[in-house]
Amino acid sequence: MSDELKSSTPQTPDAEPAVSRSTVPIWIIVLTLMLLFLGMVYFDHHGGWFNSQVYGPYASSEELELYQPKSGEAAILARGKARYDQVCGLCHGVDGLGKPGQAPPLAGSEWVDTRGIQRFVSIPLGGVSGQLSVKGQTWSLSMPAMGAAMSDADLADVLTYIHSSWGNKQGPVTADDVKAIRAKLGAHPQPFTDETLKALPQ
Amino acid sequence: MKNGFLVFLASLIALGGSWCGFVLAPVLQLGGGKQTTILNSSGLYPVDRPGMANQGLQVYRANGCAACHTEQVQQSGVACDVVLTGAGKNPEVVTNLISSLKLNGLDKDLADALVDKITAAGGKAEIRIVATGPDIDRGWGRRHSVAEDFLYDDPVQLGNLRIGPDLADVGMRQPDANWQLVHLYAPQSEVKGSAMPPFRYLFRVKKIGSAPSPDALAFPKDFGPPAGYEVVPAPQAQELAVYLLSLHADVPLHNAPFSQSAAVFKP
Repeated sequence: MSDELKSSTPQTPDAEPAVSRSTVPIWIIVLTLMLLFLGMVYFDHHGGWFNSQVYGPYASSEELELYQPKSGEAAILARGKARYDQVCGLCHGVDGLGKPGQAPPLAGSEWVDTRGIQRFVSIPLGGVSGQLSVKGQTWSLSMPAMGAAMSDADLADVLTYIHSSWGNKQGPVTADDVKAIRAKLGAHPQPFTDETLKALPQ
Repeated sequence: MKNGFLVFLASLIALGGSWCGFVLAPVLQLGGGKQTTILNSSGLYPVDRPGMANQGLQVYRANGCAACHTEQVQQSGVACDVVLTGAGKNPEVVTNLISSLKLNGLDKDLADALVDKITAAGGKAEIRIVATGPDIDRGWGRRHSVAEDFLYDDPVQLGNLRIGPDLADVGMRQPDANWQLVHLYAPQSEVKGSAMPPFRYLFRVKKIGSAPSPDALAFPKDFGPPAGYEVVPAPQAQELAVYLLSLHADVPLHNAPFSQSAAVFKP
């Protein structure tokens, strides 16, 4: 036995050994906090907030949503909705109900449903100015040509989405439709008015 | 005992904490599991097994199959493949475009951009979602296992050792009941070099009577019983085979998405 150990043994062998209280070393506290922090960071990246739908390689329910397979119509509608919410939804509302005094509703609007694809596609390509009656209400409009800068396929996706959402039940708009109508209107069409819109074929 | 209350409190917290973590949290998270719909279909998943397959689960359990086989597929990643579904009016342009591009194993943003490119060139393309990982590469399924897969298993036969292959979708890989039975009787006859012990006590070798039994196994060459004899599965073997055929955890679900094969355009 070394001297050091000897000196630390109790002087009286009969005494009850006791655990003395001492402070926890600061490095243990720091290490614990660091481990806790790393654990939180890891959880944030991989935990999915305990959502029972989120497994393995997916980090969150948003990421899981991103990787849902979409094909055909579902893919078109998903792309159309994304573009609509971003471009059209600001005024017409993500629910298609419009904004009073600013933009008429698209849900159940006769311009969407019954007045023909020619007029429906022309509106975003040329814009609208002046008085226009929508669902029995007269609107004073100045809509810019929001679709003029979009590609044929993108605009077709958006219009297909409008055509089949919020109770509207019209068929798909194809990129070829948009292309043909865009060619007919020319490069920089004037904003449409009630009269020039109605002058277009159905 | 000194500090008895502290010791009691510490062990209560330690045990209670792990009980909350290992028992309570999983029950809260997954305990309310129920049937879900299959992606892009109105079909429900899973459906309860037929009674014979449930009997087979007990045979599986009794023979310790889970000691060497798992029923859980892991997935380490997800990737997108872009497939051409139509060439449009300018097939040459589209085929030239895609011949210079990498179409498989992309992430979502890249795949979206590629589809836009192909659409701009006049073609039609679709994104296919593919699970990736060692288990998927081994052909043990097309997605990872989820809680729904085990909804009607009692008890769940997860297994944790893979001396043999994973069986989560063995009913899809080997849908032939005769194959399953012959493999149980003589594993090496179907899988060369298999380490699986033969389960011959689940079968009876008997002399062919006036007519061969309709249940008798059809063997590959060199593995059958001697001439004049046939091998007939006992009820347990038949139940086990039905159970194995009922294992097909391989449909796309919301929490385990993948694309089923689409009509691919071949230029």
